[in-house]
Amino acid sequence: MSTGGSPLSMNPVFRLDEALSRVDHDRDIFITMVELFSEHGPKDFAVLKAAVQAGNPSAVAQSAHRLKGAVMQFCASATFASAKKLEDIGRAGQLTDAESICAQLETELADLLDALQQARDTGFGA
Amino acid sequence: MQKGKTSSVKSATESHECRLPLLKTCCSWAASHTVLIVDDEPVTRTAMVARLTRLGYRVLQASDGKSGLELLRRERPDLTILDWMMPELDGLAFCDEVRRDPNILSSQILMMTRYDQPEQIAEGLARGADDFLSKAATSYEIIARVQAGIRTAMLIRRLEQVTEQIRRKQDLLERELQSAARYVESLLPAPGTLLPGIEMAHAYRPALTLGGDLFNVVRWDDHSLGLYLLDASGHGVSPALRSASFSTFLREDSLLNQVGSSDPGAILTEANRQFPLTEDGNYFTIIFVLLDIRSRTLFYATAGHHGAFLQRLSGEIIWLSQRSLPLGFDPTNVYQTAAVPLMKGDRLYVLSDGLYEIPSPDGELWGQPRLEATMREEGRRPVAEVLSHTIDAAARWHGQEHFPDDVAVMGIELGI
Repeated sequence: MSTGGSPLSMNPVFRLDEALSRVDHDRDIFITMVELFSEHGPKDFAVLKAAVQAGNPSAVAQSAHRLKGAVMQFCASATFASAKKLEDIGRAGQLTDAESICAQLETELADLLDALQQARDTGFGA
Repeated sequence: MQKGKTSSVKSATESHECRLPLLKTCCSWAASHTVLIVDDEPVTRTAMVARLTRLGYRVLQASDGKSGLELLRRERPDLTILDWMMPELDGLAFCDEVRRDPNILSSQILMMTRYDQPEQIAEGLARGADDFLSKAATSYEIIARVQAGIRTAMLIRRLEQVTEQIRRKQDLLERELQSAARYVESLLPAPGTLLPGIEMAHAYRPALTLGGDLFNVVRWDDHSLGLYLLDASGHGVSPALRSASFSTFLREDSLLNQVGSSDPGAILTEANRQFPLTEDGNYFTIIFVLLDIRSRTLFYATAGHHGAFLQRLSGEIIWLSQRSLPLGFDPTNVYQTAAVPLMKGDRLYVLSDGLYEIPSPDGELWGQPRLEATMREEGRRPVAEVLSHTIDAAARWHGQEHFPDDVAVMGIELGI
């Protein structure tokens, strides 16, 4: 996945047009996905953060993988990249940089949730 | 676990968005097909459900491997789209379960993963995935892979249906063949005393496909009797019926009327005239024996049959063999009668070639020498036991439950 900006979206956190195209521009479904992510995303992140703090590589890999899959649906490249880094280092059993990446992911995730909420409130630019 | 269609999703046809040719094809084709999506991550799962529902598929979804497996067993979807990484029962373990269960092992599984390493793809395929789909796949790729998976599922379903139809027909045919085999067995003579001093035992093991072997006794008078064993070429109901028809000709009254003689050569010569080759080239082989107690002589004639021998009290074995054509090849052929003097304690065995032309699992025939050796080892045990043990030995050589051809054998103890 490209991490560069898309001409179809001016949002620096996620690419709305690309994300909508993944569900054939069905806004109802997209709203459902945003609601699901708003509910589950923070919980999944909490599990990931606890795994990082516990120094459990396999739990880090598994929870980061789960979060990464959800983030991918919104074409949020930076958040996706951080989740993928955590998954990769968890899988490699090298958690040296895990806390800093996790902190970065926490910020990116909060930004993504805000951006999604804003987009929803404005009717996804409709 | 959620189940059923996602009601808020409009189909692509409803929203007039079938712009791509592949999408148009898919929409018109999808309605009759069911796809199961198994993914623990709700956002990804919802997105995939939405995409496929819009394409017109009936979509089922499960949020973990265990409930997905239950749904697969209950609903038998045409295609299962499965996440690789899930807690407890992950995608690979799910595949293992499916491939172990005979009721669902032919299910089509599309594994959804970000993994694109050849080793991981190979592991997925080895564990039972049929294809892979990237979570980052475009709609176009998803449609193409789902269609390919469902096409394969349809072919497999069709194959399973045809296989089941064939199995049912085969069951019916085997029941009919068993019924025909029981009829053939009903025609066989009762074992026991044929004439004073002459005792008979016999054994008959019809092949699974039913052959045309038949044997019987013709009582000429108080001091002579006829014995025959005939074999109709081919397997199935047709040779069995031809043998039954031939046995009518070989009844005592029929032979007296149509041949006017108990001479084996004369009987086979007339039979050869009356039973020509069939249109599809089938024929009979037969040995006909006349035992004359007063003259202590065995007379016989054969038509392409080589399965009869005398076993002397000393153990010596004398095969009753003639160079002769099977019946029906040459209507002008005259079959000759040969004579062998009988001695006290002789045993006569008349048998079908199915007893010694039995292949081992690696194809080697049991053969007449092994048959002779087995019978010699039995010594002077009662004839019925000799027959039973010999057939058991042949079965051990064959190594399978059913013989490839009918096995018919008569054993006659000549206490004269």
